[in-house]
Amino acid sequence: MNAIELSHIHKSFGGFAIQDLSLTVPSGTICGLVGENGAGKSTTIRLLMGALRPDSGAAAVLGTDVSSPAFTRVKEDVGVVLDEAYFPETLNALQAGKIMAGTYRQWEQSAYEDYLNRFDLPEKKPFKDFSRGMKMKLAIAAALSHRPKLLVLDEATSGLDPIVRDEVLEIFNEFTREEDHSILISSHIVSDLEKLCDYIAFLHRGRLLFCEEKDRLLEEYGVFVGTAEQAESLLPEAVAGREAKDYGGVRALVRRNLVPETLALERPTVEEIILFTVKGEEKR
Amino acid sequence: MKALIQKDVYVLWKQMRIFLFVMLVIMVGNGTFGSVFVVIWCAMLPYTALAYDERCKWDQMAAMMPYAPRDIVLSKYVLGWLCAGGAGAFTLAVQAAIRAFHLPLEIGSPFAVLMSFCASVCVLAITLPLMFRFSVERGRMVMFLAIFLVCGGAGALASLVAPDSKPVPGNLPALLSMAAVLVPAAAAVLTAVSIPLSLRFYAARQ
Repeated sequence: MNAIELSHIHKSFGGFAIQDLSLTVPSGTICGLVGENGAGKSTTIRLLMGALRPDSGAAAVLGTDVSSPAFTRVKEDVGVVLDEAYFPETLNALQAGKIMAGTYRQWEQSAYEDYLNRFDLPEKKPFKDFSRGMKMKLAIAAALSHRPKLLVLDEATSGLDPIVRDEVLEIFNEFTREEDHSILISSHIVSDLEKLCDYIAFLHRGRLLFCEEKDRLLEEYGVFVGTAEQAESLLPEAVAGREAKDYGGVRALVRRNLVPETLALERPTVEEIILFTVKGEEKR
Repeated sequence: MKALIQKDVYVLWKQMRIFLFVMLVIMVGNGTFGSVFVVIWCAMLPYTALAYDERCKWDQMAAMMPYAPRDIVLSKYVLGWLCAGGAGAFTLAVQAAIRAFHLPLEIGSPFAVLMSFCASVCVLAITLPLMFRFSVERGRMVMFLAIFLVCGGAGALASLVAPDSKPVPGNLPALLSMAAVLVPAAAAVLTAVSIPLSLRFYAARQ
């Protein structure tokens, strides 16, 4: 079963539109959603949680159509962390726990308390006195404490210091050790996604440019470094994106299967693949 | 829905401690007006809760949780009824205490408290859809405009129909018994219309 299935979703807001978005996240995997500010990541998350109605297309989460009344019940199995913890500022962690206990049938108070201790979060301090990192940690604790099968994380690691971020990524990794647990995580920090994800989906200006298995993506592409003349000799369809370097040099992202095997290529990072893809897209 | 009301109570609780004291001050010494004012005032507390929700973008969070839009909308109505009912009960308790101890304080009648509860249900039914349609900040402006138009219109109509009319004490029991039927009926009818309207406005905001 797929944890998430978006099929030909269109959603227009006048100046911005999600266009023909199809995305599948198989159960038991972690998918990273990458894109620049305003690319449509948060809109995609709202669409897949049924918080926004698409103009056309269909969305299903854990096998249930998000527009059906049955989806309200399915949300019990989805833990969501948004880009901010949208709890009223006068509440504290203890009160948030009580509200969540009344919201989720499978709420585990002991798990929540463990996370509060693990993240060193005060129980009685109002949220208005929390730092951004503390708010995010609280949102993560709440999302993980009702035994979800799917975690949807929108910039959940932003605002966290590197040590806590690493700890949180480890918690996410632990979460997917269960066979039927999946994660969709959007982030600007591509290195986090590279560390964590099985799949990388790249959104650019409301369009999904690719959604690929991370390892396959890294195998499919290589970085060519050479002269402009050498670059010109490559097949145009082999070059996904290029940039000029000093002294007439060129750095280009190329598809390994379309360039001669003898050509020396560097292994790219996911960040490089994304940056070059955007450059290639803008040229078109 | 219980959790949503619980959240609103937590949010409002800090204010409520001062609120209880202010209620007591207004209630005693102001007769019927004080009692009616307190009940209707408390029925406005869901707007404060809605304002907090808007400020922290709670709607976005709630949309991700297993709440149906119906729960979110209804919770504000129920909160308003509970606040008005609670204020009514508090007022009745204070009235009972004043009577029991023969204190020299002016208080309203239990009938006025019951009528004011029904009136506050009417106010909620009229104004909550405006809040869901226009958000709290703009909704409050529209609410005041509506109250001004209704009150002004009623006053103008009364002066046109009976320009020289004066209160007739002999008619008071008949008027009160008419009010005892009409006000609860109006509360029920307005609420029955208001809830679907609020649901529609809430869905349109998504």
